[in-house]
Amino acid sequence: MPALMKVGSILLQLALAALVIRQFELENRTFFNVFLLSAVAFPVHALLPARYRLSFFAAVSLGGIFLVFGPLGGGLLIGAGLALIGVCHLPLAFGVRVAIALAIGGVLALARDGRIPSVMPAGVWPILGSMFMFRLAVYMQALKHDKTPPTIARTLSYFFMLPNVCFPLYPVVDYTTFGRTYYDDDADAIYQRGAKWITRGLVHLLLYRYVYLHLTLDPTTLHSLSDLVQALLSVFLLYLRVSGQFHLIVGLLQLFGFHLPETHRLYYLASSISDYWRRINIYWKDFMMKLVFYPSFFKLRGKGDRVALVLSTLCVFFATWLLHSYQWFWLRSEFPITPQDILFWALLGGLVVINTLRETKKGRKRTLAAKPKGWDSSLALRTTGTFILLCILWSLWSAESLVDWLFMWPAALHVGAMDVAVVGGLLAFGLAVSGFVWDAPVSARKGPEPLYLRTDVRTYAVLVALLVISTSQLKQAAGPRIGGFIATLQSASLNTQDRALQQRGYYEKLDNRGRLSAQLWTTIQRAPAGLLALTDTKAYRRRTDDFIGGDLTPNSSGLVSGKLVTVNSMGMRDHDYTLAKPADTKRIALLGPSYTMGSGVADDETYDAYLEPRMNEQQGGSPRYETLNFGVAAYSLLHQMRILDDRAYKFNPDVVLLTDSRTPARPIVQHLIRALEDGTLGTYPGLDSIVKRAGVHDYPGKGVAIATDPLRAMARMVGVKTRMPYREAYIRLNNAMSEIIDWTLQHTAEQAKAHGAVPIFVDGMFPADTAIPDSPMMASARKHGFLVIELATQWEGQPRDDLRIGAWDNHPNPRAMKMIADGLYREFQKHESELHLGIHPASTATPPPTTPDSSRAHSKD
Amino acid sequence: MEDIIRIVKEFILDKFLPGEDPAALTPSTQLMSSGILDSLATLDLVSFLEERFKIELEARETDVSRMGTLNDIAQLVQPKLPAGK
Repeated sequence: MPALMKVGSILLQLALAALVIRQFELENRTFFNVFLLSAVAFPVHALLPARYRLSFFAAVSLGGIFLVFGPLGGGLLIGAGLALIGVCHLPLAFGVRVAIALAIGGVLALARDGRIPSVMPAGVWPILGSMFMFRLAVYMQALKHDKTPPTIARTLSYFFMLPNVCFPLYPVVDYTTFGRTYYDDDADAIYQRGAKWITRGLVHLLLYRYVYLHLTLDPTTLHSLSDLVQALLSVFLLYLRVSGQFHLIVGLLQLFGFHLPETHRLYYLASSISDYWRRINIYWKDFMMKLVFYPSFFKLRGKGDRVALVLSTLCVFFATWLLHSYQWFWLRSEFPITPQDILFWALLGGLVVINTLRETKKGRKRTLAAKPKGWDSSLALRTTGTFILLCILWSLWSAESLVDWLFMWPAALHVGAMDVAVVGGLLAFGLAVSGFVWDAPVSARKGPEPLYLRTDVRTYAVLVALLVISTSQLKQAAGPRIGGFIATLQSASLNTQDRALQQRGYYEKLDNRGRLSAQLWTTIQRAPAGLLALTDTKAYRRRTDDFIGGDLTPNSSGLVSGKLVTVNSMGMRDHDYTLAKPADTKRIALLGPSYTMGSGVADDETYDAYLEPRMNEQQGGSPRYETLNFGVAAYSLLHQMRILDDRAYKFNPDVVLLTDSRTPARPIVQHLIRALEDGTLGTYPGLDSIVKRAGVHDYPGKGVAIATDPLRAMARMVGVKTRMPYREAYIRLNNAMSEIIDWTLQHTAEQAKAHGAVPIFVDGMFPADTAIPDSPMMASARKHGFLVIELATQWEGQPRDDLRIGAWDNHPNPRAMKMIADGLYREFQKHESELHLGIHPASTATPPPTTPDSSRAHSKD
Repeated sequence: MEDIIRIVKEFILDKFLPGEDPAALTPSTQLMSSGILDSLATLDLVSFLEERFKIELEARETDVSRMGTLNDIAQLVQPKLPAGK
């Protein structure tokens, strides 16, 4: 009975954890389903006679694969896996079996890379890779050396273990440890440890979400010391996602009796680099020790212990670097070899070697008993120092390029009183926390545990607290600020940088997929296969002869993001218009990027297609309205300015409407760099002089790409022809962004007025946007005489999933396009006195909301 | 077996845990997962075992299943000892 009660208690904790996962939308739907499957299977497994448990776990694991991938994907995964396992057991010499396994691995790698055809669904590859890329080597070694022969249940459980089906990034569980630790402790204690680690994993994932959404900064836009510190800190803290996932994985395995070692134990409190290596991903460390370090050391012992030690340690870090890329290949189909990776692992390896040699000389303090309570200044300094060093190394590893990383540091020179307070406060906090010993003693605690220290009580407390926080009542009581903050933690949305990257990825190939954040990667993976960006279709043409750089091909069409984009004879996604404006007609030129062009929606579902008939129907045909869609995916403010100057004013518009995303910098910089390469920047002397002032005169050109002026000057002194690297030009232009945007808006406003048109700037057209009172871009537009319209308020209270193309794409869907058209019409009515569009006062009532069938845009034709 | 455990325990206490209470180090105390035997200490212990018991150890014998506790170490060493010892 007590055992039954304990199982019931764990089940209750799992139910609470499932609610937390649902309330905070942690991970994804697949994980939630697998978690529910685990929770249902747990009591059955726990109450089964011991001899049936392992087989039951294997069956549940295989069932989980079918649940996630369906009969075809699941069958293919299990079939491929069984073939690989079968090779390990062939009655052939060990070396032959290894060779066959490698050959099959090679064929699978070619299929993974798309070099040979395969029927394997795309989503299965990362999981198949994750299950076999390392475990196969561990298993073969165990077959060779272990005395206990494997059983079918144990082998199937090992390779197909349940949580792996939803976590491609998975700890390298050792086969021997997997078997050795199976129910090697009191079962109830193992289960409770599982519930505790699951809870800890959920807390890590929530902390990760906070860091990801609210702390991360674009490293190319740091302005002060506190910005720099925030960027360094957030990059390192983003690792909480991995530690959270690993805790969930190992916690779930504990529920089925696998008493595996604790992972990521207080890894942010490591007191040296070696200590960090021992704490962080201990599964990887043990894997490296077993397969690389000890075998290398024993082979090299003849050269002396110190030499063997140094060389073996370096072998470990070399292998870690290489295998990291190998792992990335199976998970993301990329084999990243970057200078940042090489430098990171070389530096980390070098530091571990130095620390190891120091420890061989001086030793390391170990203790069995509880460590003395109280604050230890030496420990505080070592731990804080290690943390800072790791933040710096991590920022190097995560940087988009070495140039990006180098150009982060000048921000440290901008120090104000607030910077001193923030950085000083963080340092004091770090020292205060890290001076205490948080590790539990090795020797067992004597006497009964007080209630508040009991693992189950603490697990319940954390889970209940998280659920209370997630309730709408508490959010309302906490007020809009705190309530809004909690709400952000409750959905798996992208942060500002990733939203910008996602938009960019929508119309460009993301060239460095290996470096995308996990969040963005997960989002992109949900997109249906075969979607084409505009630039990959015939509807787009690259132009090197004009500052525009590229536009829509007149009289063409293309399937962009799965929808037909039809381009008229004047290069617009619209029907044809006469160049001369007809009598009694008001024209509105619509400019903007993808959501103005209408990426992901049909020709008759753009907001332009809804707006024009709406205005004409409401106004009764006099005056007539023509809305001209000059939008092109990926167009920045600079493109919009150029289209106006070169094309739109010829149509004599009464109103010109510009819009851009909240993260305009990247497309503007890329456009300027392209214009520099094409030599078309001279079209706009004012812009040209800003670019020159930004110091980008060395780009483009021929020669060796060397970062920073002093290094280029030194290289030139020794006769080397140099040029500025792309990333340096990018960062320099990015730093001049406010000036560039300001100049563009000023020029556009002046030209619009000169052509008799009223300029409008619209913010918040993206359904992911939240209303903001102002932004630098809006303020600049207002300053130069634009009428500024904020449309984001209309998204409030609307489920975002009902407004976007899909989970992988935040662009407005037809429903959102209609809302944009409605919103614009309302604003036109409101601002009639400034716009002079002739909107009749009698019709200023808000139009009824359009229904999918009531505003077919065909009517505009 | 008990002799092996005693000898190894003395070595560990002397080399890695000076000043610690010997009673706290039991034959089942986890040596690797607790951090007492890290990779360096394991290599030191390997050298000691080979020298003290005149045996040879292999790389694969340095894992937690064979060196995780004093009991495990004794079970690793015992069969390697020359007969009669």
